[in-house]
Amino acid sequence: MDIKILDSWLRDFLETKATPAEISKYISLCGPSVERIEKINGDCVYDIEVTTNRVDSASVYGIAREASAILPRFGISAKLKPIRSESKEYSFTKSVPYLAAIVDSKLCPRFTAVLIENVQIAESPEIIKKGLEASGIRPINNIIDISNYVMLELGQPVHTFDYDKIMEGRMVLRESKRGEEIETLDGKKFKLPGGDIVIEDGGGRLIDLAGIMGGSLSKVEADTKNVLLFVQTYNPVKIRKTSMALAQRSMAATIFEKGTDTELVSQGVLKAIELFKTLTKGTVSKQILDIYPSPYKAMSAAINMDYIKERLGIDISKKDITSYLTSLKFDCKWVGDLLTIKIPSFRAKDIKGPEDILEEIARIYGYHNLPSLIMTGPIPVRSEDPKFNFELNVKNIISGFGGSEVYTLSLIPESDTDEKHLKLKNPLGPKTAALRTSLMPSLVNALKENIGTTDKFHLYEIANIYLPKTGDLPEERLILAGIFNGYDYRSAKGIVEGILERLNIAITFKTEESKGFGASKCAFIYSKGEVLGKIGVVEESGQIYYEFSMQKLLDFSPKVISFKPVPKYPAQIEDLTLFLPEKTRIGDVVSAILRGNQLIKTVKFKDVYHSSYTFRIAYQNKDKTLTDAEVKEIRDKIISSLKSKFGASVKG
Amino acid sequence: MQEDILSIKNQAVAQIMSAESASELEQIRIDYFGRSGKFTNLIKNIKNAPADNRKQIGQTINEAKESIEELLENQKKIFKESAREWFDPTIPGKMPAVGHIHLVTKTIEEISRIFGRIGFERARYPEVEWDYFAFETLNMPKDHPARDEWETFFVDAPENPKFGKMVLTPHTSSGQAREMLRVKNPPIRMINIAKCYRRQSDVTHVPVFHQFEGLVIDKGVSIVNLKGTLDYFAKAFYGKDRVTRLRPYHFQFTEPSFEIDISCGVCDGRGCKVCKGGWLELGGAGMVHPNVLKAGKVDPNIYSGFAFGWGVERVLMMKDGLNVPDLRMLYSTDLRYLTQF
Repeated sequence: MDIKILDSWLRDFLETKATPAEISKYISLCGPSVERIEKINGDCVYDIEVTTNRVDSASVYGIAREASAILPRFGISAKLKPIRSESKEYSFTKSVPYLAAIVDSKLCPRFTAVLIENVQIAESPEIIKKGLEASGIRPINNIIDISNYVMLELGQPVHTFDYDKIMEGRMVLRESKRGEEIETLDGKKFKLPGGDIVIEDGGGRLIDLAGIMGGSLSKVEADTKNVLLFVQTYNPVKIRKTSMALAQRSMAATIFEKGTDTELVSQGVLKAIELFKTLTKGTVSKQILDIYPSPYKAMSAAINMDYIKERLGIDISKKDITSYLTSLKFDCKWVGDLLTIKIPSFRAKDIKGPEDILEEIARIYGYHNLPSLIMTGPIPVRSEDPKFNFELNVKNIISGFGGSEVYTLSLIPESDTDEKHLKLKNPLGPKTAALRTSLMPSLVNALKENIGTTDKFHLYEIANIYLPKTGDLPEERLILAGIFNGYDYRSAKGIVEGILERLNIAITFKTEESKGFGASKCAFIYSKGEVLGKIGVVEESGQIYYEFSMQKLLDFSPKVISFKPVPKYPAQIEDLTLFLPEKTRIGDVVSAILRGNQLIKTVKFKDVYHSSYTFRIAYQNKDKTLTDAEVKEIRDKIISSLKSKFGASVKG
Repeated sequence: MQEDILSIKNQAVAQIMSAESASELEQIRIDYFGRSGKFTNLIKNIKNAPADNRKQIGQTINEAKESIEELLENQKKIFKESAREWFDPTIPGKMPAVGHIHLVTKTIEEISRIFGRIGFERARYPEVEWDYFAFETLNMPKDHPARDEWETFFVDAPENPKFGKMVLTPHTSSGQAREMLRVKNPPIRMINIAKCYRRQSDVTHVPVFHQFEGLVIDKGVSIVNLKGTLDYFAKAFYGKDRVTRLRPYHFQFTEPSFEIDISCGVCDGRGCKVCKGGWLELGGAGMVHPNVLKAGKVDPNIYSGFAFGWGVERVLMMKDGLNVPDLRMLYSTDLRYLTQF
């Protein structure tokens, strides 16, 4: 959470000659991070990020406490001034005449309240208003301002009730039942989810959504005479649940949900009382109701010298360690190499094990003072997963053939998939509500975006699709897909064939019907009887699209390519031109020629003119040079078989 | 006769030197050495000279002839060279279709290479993940306020009795426990680069982005090693003059936790509009929390480690001179952007 505090307010608790720039720089290096300093009217405001584990420093006093430990490490003297209060006048007692309270201590570990009579509601003095405004809180009147002022100064949220609106002077602090209703003082009405901390008065009415916001039934208003000052700690988990469920994120709630210090409660009450006396001229009851069945007992934690040195990676003296921890209010006791520290109440939530103590030592020592060294230990010996190199290799090949890689969103509108898919419970909007099951819609969109900018292009992507599985995480299947604009089918298919050639995968094509492609406009790509991918014309947009399973490509691409002796005898190469009837699949003709004789090494489709198709055929025998007569014999057989299979005839 | 020879020779030399083309030279050759050329006639006339002079005259003619022939050849060569076939090597070429590899891929490869050099092994873990790996193994029990910082997308699918809700992983840290469970015995040096998802979209955030997660686990791994590794990366990636610093921070899954800053390359750390007081925030890191080690079945009494999870796009955007104004631009599919890289 971010807090804003005034420099002059900070100096109420911090005696130092450090400039705001120094304070800001040094506490950022060793403690809470000052994001920015803003100058206003001869003063300045620190904008500070306080991490969730350090709610104890989310206040003016908390920052002063951190600064008093950090600044001396940079050679600047700094002393923490105590919180002034007239504690001796008041007594904390388990019961008081003005309020009968029944409190569930599991929900509220410490409950305090005090009656202040005959308050005069007025505007707050300038100094209070200035402090609140600097922190981003609008001053309203002295009573409400006191609550906010104490919260900002000490980090203890404070609430006030109009005492006369609490029926029968009775309170029951309990868990809500599901469906109970309450109106908070900002006028919002809530039906409670159940298990929320609420306060019921003697009239059976809910008068407070505890720790989050007061109820409108007990609200302090312009005609309020008597105020019940109310300072507590609450079960942080309960506060968080309610606050999240109702989306009611008050500053009090964001503090309470992190777990506040029970010992801070008394300081909060006393500070508020002091302000009530001076600002509202109210009469404060001498007895403060304090229901606190298990007061804080200082806990301790231990750490070993070896552990400190090993984790810090440097040598450090016991004396220095003691000095750093003492400045942070930990009591230190060394027995041999074992250090035991006593944990003050305000750090009880975040200091538990040796790793936590180590952090305190390390940050005050200063991370900037530590050397930088790469590990000297053994390097793990495992063979790296080949998929990463393979992916890069594929990308290099495709980009070499003119493809431009894109990254499209893996979240798509539900309307873009009619297959079984996963959808989000809380999408940012309908356009990104589902996890994609195909890259086709994304690439079609990417293509559309570019139409008109250039006429010929090829986009591709390697990304996951997400295929739902019952009772388990989806299968995340890595897909290579590409789309062409302005390429004729043969050029596009040639690129796909080129990719597979580079990957040393022998493939065949077979016409199949497939979703998203035009009827009879898709071919599946096979290798050794398995489908690796497909290519075809997209039904919707008419562009050529291809896709492959990356895992299949990896599996079928040989890891090591075996050497084949270079042929000793030259091949006989000739062009064969055939007339073929309309609607003959040339891919089938090529494979028929190739399969026709073992001595045919390669068949390439060269060109087509009207219905005459020219094929370039290489005949080769590894043991000798073929004679013209031998080639003629093979050719004649092929031609006659093509004649019967496809109705082919030879030109000329 | 001697004078005639020398005067013809001088005449020839003068003509050769002033000739302007190979054909002119050829004409000169014919004029002097042709069937009725001047030299040819001189040779024919030797027989008319007095007998005792003939030998000397013959010698003089030969010398003159040889030197003129040599001169002719040389001059011809010069003309040949300047008369080469016309060719324009600057004529614009016919480029094949030029492809492009995406900036994010290039960045991922660069990151992998940098960490690969110091023994990190690449990994990738699920994008659709259980709450258990995304949060619980990272020391963030249910309802922990720290979870707020991860604007998590939830998948509309039944909860798993053991692993809880299905989420889109908000960070690569989900791979920490998975890597420990896979490897079983440290040492571990992992660099996990994968897609992550957060419910946010503005100038510096996109809902789908990439992180790279480093995880090092071994005996005696210290904060000094974390500093060393990240400093090495920053120098390798941004340049050797850049320095890093650690500031305290808090993450549930590391203790101590840090934010890592790098000195600003624009102002060399003096402070400018781009940076905060001379520093730019790179990302978070920390010493692996013992509870996270335990979740990965690694004994925190024997092993320690550090981890960091940084945005690929973020470290890329911080490269000097890239000047992409809006992180969302990185994911544009506009070829006018794609073909720039």
